[in-house]
Amino acid sequence: MAGISRRSMLQGMAAGAGALAAGPLLGTGSALAAREKELNILCWEGYNSAQVLDPFRSKTGATVKAESLTNDPTMINRLRAGEINTWDLINVNNPWARKVMLPEKLIKPLPKAEFEPFFAKMLPEFKWPYKWAMSEDGNDLLGMVQRFGPYSFVVNTDKVSRKTAEETGWDLFNDPALAGKYGILESDDWNVFNIFVVAGIDPFKVHTPEEMAKFEETAKRVFKGAKLIGDIASMNQALISGEIDLHLTGGTYSVSPARADGHPNLRAITPLKGPLAGGKGGISWIEVTSTVNNPNLSPLALDFLKYVQAPEVAHTVAFAEGTFNPVAQMGNKACFDLFTKEELDAIQWDSLEEEMARSVEYDIVPDYDKALDIMNAAKRLRG
Amino acid sequence: MADIALARASKMAPETARELRHARRLSVGARCALPVAVLLAIGFLAPMVAILAYSFATPRSFDVFRSFTLENFASLFDPTNTVWLSFAWSVGFALFTVAILAVIAYPIAYGLNAVFGRWAGFVSVLFVFPLFVSENVRLYGWVLFFIKNGVLDGTLKWLGFSGGPEVLYTPGVTLFGMAYTYLPFMLFPMTLGLALVPRDLVDAARDLGAGRLFIWREIELPLAMPGILIGMLLTFVLAVGATAEAKILGGQSIIVISHDIEIAFTYSQNWPLGSALAVVVSVFIAALTLVALSKLDLDRMLGRR
Repeated sequence: MAGISRRSMLQGMAAGAGALAAGPLLGTGSALAAREKELNILCWEGYNSAQVLDPFRSKTGATVKAESLTNDPTMINRLRAGEINTWDLINVNNPWARKVMLPEKLIKPLPKAEFEPFFAKMLPEFKWPYKWAMSEDGNDLLGMVQRFGPYSFVVNTDKVSRKTAEETGWDLFNDPALAGKYGILESDDWNVFNIFVVAGIDPFKVHTPEEMAKFEETAKRVFKGAKLIGDIASMNQALISGEIDLHLTGGTYSVSPARADGHPNLRAITPLKGPLAGGKGGISWIEVTSTVNNPNLSPLALDFLKYVQAPEVAHTVAFAEGTFNPVAQMGNKACFDLFTKEELDAIQWDSLEEEMARSVEYDIVPDYDKALDIMNAAKRLRG
Repeated sequence: MADIALARASKMAPETARELRHARRLSVGARCALPVAVLLAIGFLAPMVAILAYSFATPRSFDVFRSFTLENFASLFDPTNTVWLSFAWSVGFALFTVAILAVIAYPIAYGLNAVFGRWAGFVSVLFVFPLFVSENVRLYGWVLFFIKNGVLDGTLKWLGFSGGPEVLYTPGVTLFGMAYTYLPFMLFPMTLGLALVPRDLVDAARDLGAGRLFIWREIELPLAMPGILIGMLLTFVLAVGATAEAKILGGQSIIVISHDIEIAFTYSQNWPLGSALAVVVSVFIAALTLVALSKLDLDRMLGRR
């Protein structure tokens, strides 16, 4: 009896082990055959929400998986580290597609003829051929644009008026009187930009040792003077409760949920002037969603990019959970009309155009690694 | 008898090679344990090997197993690198947490044993229930409690006081959060440890004229020590790796070592440096744990005397 049970158990185990070993292979086989029912998206938060994905799931009957991350370098390095075979779409900020991902063959161009007509219905600044959607030589379409916004800093206008904030600009963070009254959003790539700007230096160029020394001094001072460093929820909570009056690094993307929650006194600010190219005072971002250079790309990737262009879906993307943002598709009246007055208020539609005009577009800092190391060291000196 | 044995041995001689092969094969038990061993190797060892391998890779690259350099470790031990500050904060705060919890948890554990007797262990499990709620959620709850115009400040103002103390976003509140989070990990082993102290022994000592302090020092404390030490060790190991308290309650007023590791793997995208940091911290904790465990008699702790 013992012999039989032991043997049967071993046989069962062998069968189980065999199935386990063959499982992934079987999975791959079926995945290879059935990628038309599968889509994997690497994105910023919003595109991974059920409001956006569920209608697409029920329409296509596909398994759609989306993972959201909160910084571009991490997403791109996921592809570099070998996940190119996993993902179908990647959604990152504007410069990465044409400057990094295409040259490194991490993404592949979109069929121009199919996607060009969508640009005609976007806001005027996104008209074909839109710079950040195209390759450097202007020949290839690398991705579709949707969400965008200015991103500099946020103030509680009950404490610091919009006028003062716009006119004083980044020097607010150089004012010793405001030490202990501001927070810093935990968004370190943007903090590198902004510490440069607070130091009076254009971030998007190669920096001299003197400029780096100024950056270091500014980083130490600004981080030392911050009451807290935290995520978007912490910043909004601290602003609402009165713990802080303003916070570095922020914009429509971060403050819109608080504004929608009945706090219109909290406002994203774009300074009137600053050390950025052309004397501009702010920095803006535009998301570009590209197809990954996956050897077995899901055909649903292109379908999804078209799906989010529809007015209703574009509106849903704009107001997906967590963060509310303007979308390029608002250039289409059918899409714009879906936005209520409260929603337009939450995304500061009244000043959006002028704020975008006062901002340079997100770019890559050539000596980012060095600056980030200096900034991290400065953070440690807070304690 | 010896002849028979010899005869049997010579009779079996031709089969020696087969027997030897058989003996070399894994026992049935080991073979049955093989799937679990493989699972452990994949789930536990593989990530450790990956981290170790990454720590020797070229900085800011993904050349794992393809490059070998000590540069990551060299940069960590470079005197100009301030990462030691984060390490000092983590170790210091972990030590403080252990000390605070030892003082807080001991009377609770003592009380539990005195009131609930042999059920004290079970009752102390109730203290573990908060662990079913995400740590982040509980810490955000404390933020709402301490924040300006929050529960504490608002209530005090309502009662006519000037308001609550400004404690949020300070190192002090980080320590409070750590003591709060890790209380169950100290309390549970400590309660079990104190349950091992035989009541008769305490009574006998008292009958013989020993004072309260003498009984505590000479009987209770030594007998409960394995539980106390395990609680301290568990709390210390967990507290050294704590991040959420310093981030959520402390507002990053201090940067702890696990946060530095996180930064290396995210914004810095310097996986080799992050791995080297993780290896250094792991070796430190492992060494400490081994030293502490070598001084503990687990058999006695588990009552198998």
